[in-house]
Amino acid sequence: MKELTQKQIFDYLFNNGIENFIGVPDSTLKHFISYGLEKKKIIITTREEEAIGIASGMTMSDSNSLVFMQNAGFANSISTITSLVELYKIPLIFLIGWRGYLKNDAPEHLKIGKIQPDLLKIIGLPSKTLSQKNWKNSCVWALKKIQKNQPCALIVKREFYD
Amino acid sequence: MIRKEAMRLILAKINSEPIVSANGFISRDLFELKDKPSNFYMIGSMGLASSIGLGVALKNPKKKNFVFDGDGNILMNLGSLITIGITKPKNLVHIIFDNSSHESTGGQPTATNKIQLSKIAKSANYKVFQVKTKNQLVKILQKIKLISGPIMVIVKIKKGGVISKRINIEPTKIKNRFMDSLKK
Repeated sequence: MKELTQKQIFDYLFNNGIENFIGVPDSTLKHFISYGLEKKKIIITTREEEAIGIASGMTMSDSNSLVFMQNAGFANSISTITSLVELYKIPLIFLIGWRGYLKNDAPEHLKIGKIQPDLLKIIGLPSKTLSQKNWKNSCVWALKKIQKNQPCALIVKREFYD
Repeated sequence: MIRKEAMRLILAKINSEPIVSANGFISRDLFELKDKPSNFYMIGSMGLASSIGLGVALKNPKKKNFVFDGDGNILMNLGSLITIGITKPKNLVHIIFDNSSHESTGGQPTATNKIQLSKIAKSANYKVFQVKTKNQLVKILQKIKLISGPIMVIVKIKKGGVISKRINIEPTKIKNRFMDSLKK
């Protein structure tokens, strides 16, 4: 996803009430994260579960939070999502970079990348995949979800090689 | 001193301040000793009590925030000490009930009698106190009132004691009443 779009997404979410952006860096989301760091709105944690814990504490303090991560970290976090976020109905937005979307991505991403949509479905976390065209609608959808006390995920495909 | 005795002494100094408590026997003891809306019983997500407590502390600077943690729990999430160390919440008191065992799962050993958690926490910008007796604990509880955090109090406890009842409040209710308590 283009640098400009990633910055627009950050601004849109920030201007619509998301106050905290917490997570573990991911190259697919690097422009979003760098931009947030410039604005001093980001906390980088050591692991994804930790980010989910902090974001949960902040959200319960009436301060809306987004957690960013790569899908490998999402897989790490499944137990935390089910036994904390979903169990207590804590309305977080997950922003997840999707490695292994391209079939010839690096080998370590292929297996988990292939089942990424299924993982979301199995744990019952509603999601939308962001694109250059639809990103604003998807952000509106996510903001409505958290207003209704429902956690949800926004997915960004990894569509380039490095 | 067993965990419940130590917890009772600590709770005598806490009124409506938020407490985030680790899963297993720690939350159960807290529930039995002093149930109140400003307790967040973390019944799942093992290891994350200190992370949740950090989020609450950063957003509630006027309140003193407590984390009731166990040695098994914090060893699972040592990264949390790093993030607490860089965000430096002045209003966070992190209590570790340390029996060098995973008591909730059958008493298997942890490594806290072989490594020094206090040194790890110190290097992560905590002010650290370690106590073994009730008298020491009471003194330290008085002392930390005047000190800004992040503070860690490692309370060395014995294994065993009576097992407290399970928490019988719905998780969403635990959350809702916790959130309401933070607004006061």
